[in-house]
Amino acid sequence: MSRIRMLGPREQLQAVLERVQDLGLVQLVEPTETESLTPLGLTPEQERHVRGVRKIVKDVDAALELLGETPRPTRVAGELELPQAALIAGRCRRELEALAEQRQQLEEERALILKFRPFFAAFTKIGESGLDLDGIRVFYLILKEDGEEELRRMRAAFRQALGDGFELLSQPSESGESAMLLAVPSADGAKAEQLLSEAGVQALSLPDQFEEESVGGTIHRMQARLEKLPAELATIERERKRIAGERGRDLARIQATVRDLLATIEAMEKAVVTPRAFVLEGWIPSAVRPDLDRQLGKSFGNQIEIEAVSSEEWSGDTVPVVLKNPRLFRPFEAITGMMPLPKYGTVDPTPFVAIFFPMFFGIVLGDMGYGTMLGILSLILRIRSKPDTKLRSVSEIGIACSLFAIIFGFLYGELFGDLGHRIGLHPIIFNREEAFFPFLGLAIALGIVHIVLGLLVGAVKMFRGDKRRALGKGMAALMVVLIALALMAAFDMLPERFFTPLVITALAALPILIIGEGVLAPIELVSTLGNVLSYARIMAVGTASVMMAVVANRMVGAFGPVWVGILFGLLFHLINFVLGVFSPTIHMLRLHYVEFFGKFYSPGGSQYQPFRHWSARESASAERSE
Amino acid sequence: MELEAVFLYLSAALAVGIPALATGWAQSRIGPAAAAALAEKPELTVTVVLLIAIPETLAILGFVVAVLMLMQGGG
Repeated sequence: MSRIRMLGPREQLQAVLERVQDLGLVQLVEPTETESLTPLGLTPEQERHVRGVRKIVKDVDAALELLGETPRPTRVAGELELPQAALIAGRCRRELEALAEQRQQLEEERALILKFRPFFAAFTKIGESGLDLDGIRVFYLILKEDGEEELRRMRAAFRQALGDGFELLSQPSESGESAMLLAVPSADGAKAEQLLSEAGVQALSLPDQFEEESVGGTIHRMQARLEKLPAELATIERERKRIAGERGRDLARIQATVRDLLATIEAMEKAVVTPRAFVLEGWIPSAVRPDLDRQLGKSFGNQIEIEAVSSEEWSGDTVPVVLKNPRLFRPFEAITGMMPLPKYGTVDPTPFVAIFFPMFFGIVLGDMGYGTMLGILSLILRIRSKPDTKLRSVSEIGIACSLFAIIFGFLYGELFGDLGHRIGLHPIIFNREEAFFPFLGLAIALGIVHIVLGLLVGAVKMFRGDKRRALGKGMAALMVVLIALALMAAFDMLPERFFTPLVITALAALPILIIGEGVLAPIELVSTLGNVLSYARIMAVGTASVMMAVVANRMVGAFGPVWVGILFGLLFHLINFVLGVFSPTIHMLRLHYVEFFGKFYSPGGSQYQPFRHWSARESASAERSE
Repeated sequence: MELEAVFLYLSAALAVGIPALATGWAQSRIGPAAAAALAEKPELTVTVVLLIAIPETLAILGFVVAVLMLMQGGG
């Protein structure tokens, strides 16, 4: 990444910014050196213009959001009349907001009616009972599900208080609760109200907006309204679609144009000027710097001067970061990209991830059958995905993982578990069903290699800055190796005579480690050894996977008819395949992010965001997220 | 079955069972907090997955110890 300074005649500032935006190579920043330079202020007229542009942006964003189905942003051909754009954006926003409000009201109305619908049938049925309601007061009530007992109690209480002068009808409703109608002479209304309140029975209060003289009338009105609502909602949807059809493209075009305009205005605020000249500063990837020189030279001749800003004028923390890897490793940037970006000038771990992630995955899954299934799925995904998208990266990572799974499946002699052994495949390195110790040894050995590599990368990275800490990191790597070798000598995997010299060397290295990394270094070393042990998960998850596959194969013949066993076996294999892909992915990500990255990774870099056309940026980000 | 074998299998079961319970307990505490964090900041997905995967080390090491016990004991 290079920091550049662009100088030119003040009257060319607008044109230069537009050209820089076309090229989309420079991330503009505030200039470092502003002595004798002043920020570019805006005249009152320009400020009015900016306010107008911001208003259009607000209107068009809101309108497109309400529209839902946003057409792809398009670059503008020809000039766009701002007043006309403001008119279209404002009118569309108002129309769409009115439609959204209407829709919301109708949906609320529908939700309200639906809340009462379970009781409609019950109350209508009670209403049809032929009860003469003249001169009496009626209560419409709702009883909870276990209302049988409650109903008996209420009937008894009313009989005691009112004698036989009341009518109590009940009907179960769709919701499981009971709808209840209580009719008492008007003179006894207050007494009945009190009894109901004491019993804690809920009275049905129907919404005011549908109120008629009788509950039956209200219910009828609500039912009629419920029938009409879908048609009204459909009308609103038709209207929205009409606006989308007529104005959708216009709005997308206006959005792209005014967003670009706004970006140019904001970029102008980063310029500093003298009465005659302007100065712009920004970051550009070093590799494309000659392109910028050539293109600006072609457009403006020698009017524009571009110079590199000396590294003494800026600090590494401010430099934006862009990951750049060879084609083979590039899909794995998706894995690195899930972490915060590395700081500028530190190590991009993508190449290491590209080597170790699929390898570890293959060691864990290690089955030619499952590997082939994963490969086929990944290939289909690759064919169906677009270039430079996340899906494409995932599919390519899947292909790499499947290749390693097939290779290790061949080395273990596994094809859908022990089916491979039954058709004559033989393990070349070891049989995972039995060889727990060799598998555990392989997992721990891989852990040592991975962790030591991480420590060495950290040491090399630090060597330019803090040499003492670099020495400490290197010494920690050496200590891990020495301890591992000493343990091997102790368990007769190496000649026993190596044990004492290895332990003495490790003890001698300890003070250097403390000098390099501080007094907490021994604790850190124990934690590092714990990190190594964490790689035992490669063996544990791998063994679980192969055992599940073996169980799936043994189901044939274990459930009576063979076809039932085959069906169960296939189902179990399918489940094991899903688990066998998901589980190693999570665990290998963890091994990378926690154990490996923890040794050298310095997060905190900011993403390189060049000043370019808004439509180009949106298209790129939309494609990346697909 | 000899008493020694009974103890061996029981110990192996405890070696994997207790850490698995501990893992479950730890994940039960992490899960709700993680879900709440994700509701506010979906970009924390990776961190959350890692946080949930971290206690699994206990169960995995328990499994390894159980296997070692069974292998050493000839089970």
